[in-house]
Amino acid sequence: MSKPVRIIEKKPIPSNAIVIKGLPDVGLVGLIATAHTVSQLNLQEIAYVDSNLLPPIVVLHNGLPHSPLRIFANKDLIAVISEMPIPADAVQPITQALVDWVQSKKAKITISIGGMPVPDRQNIKEPKVFGAASDVSVLKMLQEKGLNILREGYMVGPQALVMRYCAEKNLPAVALLAQSFQNYPDPEAAAAAIKELTNITELKIDVSQLLEKGEEIRLKARDLMKRTRQEMNRMKKSQEYDLPLYV
Amino acid sequence: MMSRRRKHSIIDLMVEYMEDFKIWAEERIESAIAQRPSWNTRACCLEPLCNVFVAIDEVVVTADLPNTNPESVKVKAASEDLIEIRADMKRKMRFDDFGITHRKGEFSSFRCQVRIPVPVDTKRMQIDFKRGILEIRLPRKKDYATKVE
Repeated sequence: MSKPVRIIEKKPIPSNAIVIKGLPDVGLVGLIATAHTVSQLNLQEIAYVDSNLLPPIVVLHNGLPHSPLRIFANKDLIAVISEMPIPADAVQPITQALVDWVQSKKAKITISIGGMPVPDRQNIKEPKVFGAASDVSVLKMLQEKGLNILREGYMVGPQALVMRYCAEKNLPAVALLAQSFQNYPDPEAAAAAIKELTNITELKIDVSQLLEKGEEIRLKARDLMKRTRQEMNRMKKSQEYDLPLYV
Repeated sequence: MMSRRRKHSIIDLMVEYMEDFKIWAEERIESAIAQRPSWNTRACCLEPLCNVFVAIDEVVVTADLPNTNPESVKVKAASEDLIEIRADMKRKMRFDDFGITHRKGEFSSFRCQVRIPVPVDTKRMQIDFKRGILEIRLPRKKDYATKVE
């Protein structure tokens, strides 16, 4: 019987690379940030995800079909992006498969980029970015880099499971969460997340174009945001607002 | 959808009902909206992303209106529970601008109607526009409150 999630490799995969993941979520922060990184660093498509858990969708680019869930890379960096929301029911198996794949490629670290919803986002000029880590040594690294640490709270969705599975497998992982709109595409938050990404890695990514094209991105990302919102509701994403009980 | 569980106070129960209702309503609204395109070539308009938040004393409606002139934003109460939003774009958008070449049409404005799920006083609505986000605050009507025995 075939596996429910298959990662089809088209080109050789670099080992010991940094992996960034930008799946559609709050404010599409991770997707916008990762897509901008792919474009800025001119990463090449090296693999894609195939699964019967995903809707029957292909994305056409320049007249040719592509999987919406694709993996790009150069020799130092691997980037995972999805041009459609991951259905709530498929988040667990797809995340698990991606983490297994990352482990098999001996990645240096996995960094999930996402948004942290704040109700008064329009009043925030410069969104703060918070970090969470899969183990104590990674947490220490984030603190040494001066990142705000997400100490208590809930994470819901793909980046939550990436953190959990990486922690279970002793793989170093970070979640970078920028303050953002929950239901509106947020390129400014994506730019803030990229700045922290460059702070904790040696990557050099210019965000000026991303900020210049902010309004255009917000216009173009409306429909994807609308569909992502439906899946976030199914995942009970609003639980991230909840006050946790620690005893 | 609304499973009644044992709660210690009526407030807990009401909060739970409201949360359940919100999720249920949002899912239905979202699925209805997702069935139709977010653009209208005849009216030359795009439908903005909107959000309705029901707070204890007010309803807050927001809309994402990128590429719009703040002076052109118009908000009207079409009825007691329906708010109409219109705004002109700074620059017309064509399907080409979205990379789509198999459709023809251009868009010069945003337009939408937002249904308010609880009674509000539309005469006292307050409007703010910041960072391309329209925010409309509508005080809730108080005369529907029921006395707790």
